[in-house]
Amino acid sequence: MSKHPITLTINGQEYNLYVADHHTLLQVMRDQLDLTEVKYGCGRGECGACSVLVDDEKEASGRKAIDSCLALAVTMDGKKITTSRGLGENGQLNSVQQAFVEESGIQCGFCTPGMVVKATSLLEKNPNATEEEIRFGLEGNICRCTGYVKIVDSIKKAQKVINKK
Amino acid sequence: MTTSVVGKRIPKVDSKDKSLGTAEYAGDIRMKGMLYGKIIRSLDYAHAKVKSIDFKEAQTMPGVVKCLAPKDVTKNGYNTTIMKLLVPEAFNEVFGEISEMYIFNTHIKHQGDSVCGIIAETEEQAERAAAKVKIVYEPLPVYLTAEESRQPDAVQFTPLKPGNLASEFDPGFFPDKAYGWPDAETDKWGDDLEAECDVVVEDNFYLNKVKQCQMENNCAVALYDNRGRLTCWSSTQMPKPVQVLLAELFELPLSRMRYVTTIVGGAFGARLGMVCEPHACAMAMAVQGRPVKVEMTREEDWIASETRFPGDYKMKMGFKKDGTPVFVDAHFTGYKGAYYTHGGGPIFCAAAFVHGMYKWQTMRMKGDSYFTNTAPVGAFRGYGNPQTSFVQEQLVDVACEKLGLDSVEWRKKWHKTIGDETWLKGVTYASDDLNSCIDIAAKEFKWYQKKKKYATQKGPKRRGIGMAIMNHTSGAWPMLLEHTVSTVKLNEDCTVEIMQSVSDLGTGGHTAIQQMAADTLGWPMEDIHLTTGDSDVNGFDVGAHASRTVYCGGPATMEACESVKKQLMERAAQLLEARVEDLEMDSKKIISVKGSSKKSIDAREIAKQGVYNFFDAATGKQIGIPGQIQGYSSYLANHCSPPMGATFSEVEVDVETGQVKLVELVNAHDIGKAIHPPSVEGQLEGGAQQGLGQVLCEDMIYDKEGHCLNADFTDYKMLGPTDMPKAKIILVETAPDPIGPMGAKSCGESALMGPIGSVANAIADAIGIRFTEAPITPERILRGIKESGKTFA
Amino acid sequence: MPSSRILPEFELLLPESVAEAVKMLKKHKADATIMAGGTDVIVSGTQGFITPYVISLSKIKGIDTVKFSKTGGLRIGAMATLQKVADDKDVQKMYPALFKSAAINGTPQIRNMGTVVGNVLRASPSGDCACALLAIGAKIVFEGPRGKREVSIDDFFIDYKKTARKVDELAVEIKVPAPKKGEVSAFNRITRTTLDLSKINAAVSLVVEKGVCKSARIAMGAVAPKTIRLTDTEKLLKGQKITGSILEAIVASVVGQISPIDDVRSTADYRNQVSPVLLRRTIEEAIA
Repeated sequence: MSKHPITLTINGQEYNLYVADHHTLLQVMRDQLDLTEVKYGCGRGECGACSVLVDDEKEASGRKAIDSCLALAVTMDGKKITTSRGLGENGQLNSVQQAFVEESGIQCGFCTPGMVVKATSLLEKNPNATEEEIRFGLEGNICRCTGYVKIVDSIKKAQKVINKK
Repeated sequence: MTTSVVGKRIPKVDSKDKSLGTAEYAGDIRMKGMLYGKIIRSLDYAHAKVKSIDFKEAQTMPGVVKCLAPKDVTKNGYNTTIMKLLVPEAFNEVFGEISEMYIFNTHIKHQGDSVCGIIAETEEQAERAAAKVKIVYEPLPVYLTAEESRQPDAVQFTPLKPGNLASEFDPGFFPDKAYGWPDAETDKWGDDLEAECDVVVEDNFYLNKVKQCQMENNCAVALYDNRGRLTCWSSTQMPKPVQVLLAELFELPLSRMRYVTTIVGGAFGARLGMVCEPHACAMAMAVQGRPVKVEMTREEDWIASETRFPGDYKMKMGFKKDGTPVFVDAHFTGYKGAYYTHGGGPIFCAAAFVHGMYKWQTMRMKGDSYFTNTAPVGAFRGYGNPQTSFVQEQLVDVACEKLGLDSVEWRKKWHKTIGDETWLKGVTYASDDLNSCIDIAAKEFKWYQKKKKYATQKGPKRRGIGMAIMNHTSGAWPMLLEHTVSTVKLNEDCTVEIMQSVSDLGTGGHTAIQQMAADTLGWPMEDIHLTTGDSDVNGFDVGAHASRTVYCGGPATMEACESVKKQLMERAAQLLEARVEDLEMDSKKIISVKGSSKKSIDAREIAKQGVYNFFDAATGKQIGIPGQIQGYSSYLANHCSPPMGATFSEVEVDVETGQVKLVELVNAHDIGKAIHPPSVEGQLEGGAQQGLGQVLCEDMIYDKEGHCLNADFTDYKMLGPTDMPKAKIILVETAPDPIGPMGAKSCGESALMGPIGSVANAIADAIGIRFTEAPITPERILRGIKESGKTFA
Repeated sequence: MPSSRILPEFELLLPESVAEAVKMLKKHKADATIMAGGTDVIVSGTQGFITPYVISLSKIKGIDTVKFSKTGGLRIGAMATLQKVADDKDVQKMYPALFKSAAINGTPQIRNMGTVVGNVLRASPSGDCACALLAIGAKIVFEGPRGKREVSIDDFFIDYKKTARKVDELAVEIKVPAPKKGEVSAFNRITRTTLDLSKINAAVSLVVEKGVCKSARIAMGAVAPKTIRLTDTEKLLKGQKITGSILEAIVASVVGQISPIDDVRSTADYRNQVSPVLLRRTIEEAIA
């Protein structure tokens, strides 16, 4: 099994590591770097529990959400990645996470790291998203606890706070 | 009280941690020297005998530490479910409770059944070695329905259950093997009873096999340390009972068995007992001194953990022409899946919740289940009640139509109320505000306006409205043990440690318990800390099931906190030379004589002096009253205050494609008192998604050989954020329960029933065709339209 | 043993140019899988299906563009993501069927990584972009050891997941002709829940002049082993005004051209019954 040296910048911190060809970004983050906030939910890009943001200068917002379980770690060499822990400043909550706390948009919490990553990227790309657009944008992040009601409420609250700034 | 937090929309105590992702679940555990265990399961065969297991090649694979066959682990059988601990031994015998599961099996009974195991240094090494294990199977015939497995020549699943009859209502306990009243022997049945009725309705229904699909995959870590103690970490709903079951399985005294609950990433009944804990522990026992983690894949969730009870459910009802309900006669035959787990529990409860709903003069319901070579059936939120909702609420609508009566008014008139028996004979309703729920929800939903509006429609898209009511329970007294122990330790600075096993499945239990403690003591939330999830520290608690966390756990917390407060007041009375009745404590913890500010003492002084009790040489006495204050409660519930609720749904059926669009849902729930309103709403909102999924699109699909064809999110379809209707949850608190803590009744499971019954009724309303098989898919709808010959201009 | 937690082992090759990728394909042939976004290849890997080599296109520059010109039409690079195509203003304006097939495909995360070209090359019979492009008409441009080759999408889908791609060829872009005057298109699908693979999909591209349909291209998916054109239905439309009776004839013509099966998502009966409805609604949408 050959190994490639790669560099990943995750939440602003640079990591130099050797990864196997067949290891996904999810595996590498969890197993080699102990970044366990990124969750394994299905391993097939269905549930979004592993969602992270990847910098992409071609995006208007500068970054986009991906399923880390579908990205081979080698192909992420040189990329800047943000997880739920890095959304806010200095390990604090960003407006989206704060809204989830205030609106009780979190029950068991397993989908939450991926959900707040997705919600953040949704609002970055479309700050004036309608409820319909929010719901459509949430597809790919499965929550079995909330029925999505308070998740949508949380995002709407975050939207108000962000747009006021 | 200025600092009251009960009933307030405060943030949950664990939200910040979870929003960052720093909350640690079982799969996030890392320990020094940790090994990884892989359970090798039968994937190709749903029913087979294992002829041989060859580890020769697997053993030589890199990183392999041990290969375990059935002979290498305990021979003891077990049952994943903890139910046997919650009833007396004699009861278990009467009900035919068995423990016929084994860690590794030679008689494979379902796709996903465990065969053997590999322990390796890394998860990947275990995975690669597992692929090299050579297993020879001898296939056996596969049975997918009760009808198939109860044939006289069918292969027996276990000698303990002849005829593959897994469960039935034992005739020693249930006359005529039926739940009902009066005794079926003395009652008139059949033609006599039907002859008394003006309208009789009946039908046969089929309920689907659905899966909890909690987002956290199953994972257990175990360590058999060098002191001979076995510790298991996982996210069960029932920590203390699981500690007992594991101790039993591995023949350890409880002092050598520790169970630690990790944060539960959803459960919904899937973790009402054990999943892979036995396997992780068996592996740990084989490598003393090193922790072993067993982490299951998502695919394994469908095939190697427990599902809801599917089956054939028939019901007949009889009425007088003025609507008086005369009798209900029903029979639910469940397809049990491969193992006894939860035996007949959900089937009994399905009957019980029929018993708890309407004022039938006579009721007879039979229930039984037969083994099938499908994933074992266990507990899923609602526990038989969702099945009953699909059947009973539809038949009531059919009857009302035949009787020419308004189905809402009929329900308001004939549902049970205070003084009537609940789901359990001998227990009567303590409170009831269902009619308020119905009225408020109907108004919010605009039921009567919509009825008028949709009376005449044109075109391929047809709107329909439907409603359903439900009854459930708060805890399972007196059927099951209801016992929670709470110890409240007063710290020297007058903050408290609540040492209590509280299972928070995302439900908000940890927050609610701390709120109740805060308000009982009259102190702020910040002063309360809950130490939970460790069997070494916590006293007994049944766990989280039967919607009992607040109703049965809360009183223990309150009682223990009352004790702390009482001890503080008694010591203050002594020190202030006053009477306890004349004292009061404010939110700043100053205890003073009522109406006088001169005689007062800081509770913190009392707490401190209790611990730091020094000898004063000058006076020759101890300073202050010695003894660290602790409160204790060993609380046993004495009721189950069943909650009731009403749901109204609107659908739009496309008669050309059969697709159903969910338009609106309103659910009003008689909660009594919402300790944490956002959590109660969250339970009802989330449960609706599961109920709606059961009635519209969720189903585990098997091929003839017993392979599950949709063990993934690609093809096990759940409603997503764009599929959910506009949903409104109304908490009705106008009738606080006289028994429930602070007036509270439960909500955890109540959410599923109303959506199921009301949507089934709404579809029937939309197109005038009724569906008795769940899920009501577009394929079934188009088939139904075709068979009916109906056209929609 | 397939696992969604651990992929089978393979050797990952990262060519830095198309020429290098072609060299690798020439060497490994069917032992190599080409990976663009990875959303299909990785999922296949979790199901145990992978070849000894995987050739990732992620390092090749310049093949992720979406370019439109009024004369040249649309050119979609092999690594242009579904989201990039869906966000493109020219795509939205000029190719509504393609736009929709990309915009509602999968999830935002999948659209951020998955590619339109990948969707077409995978040749799943329920492929949404494949259906839209078959209706619109397109050419797939391959580079191989024998040089460049263009294949019409009409000749591309051969059988169930079998295409005209040769084992040592790499699809570098898809060319879509500029819309003709009066060309309208639409795409629709039937799914179980919103997020789903299609049970049935349909796309039409019609050239309409003064209410008369000059030409029609009709594609449907998930109703045969591959995405197909309904050529009999196209003939019915040609030269006709799209009236009620024509629509009735269209609806009646569908069942004879499709061969759906029962599968975990739906039944042959359902697909036979609903395909005509879906097609009729798609045509109505295109000409609205």
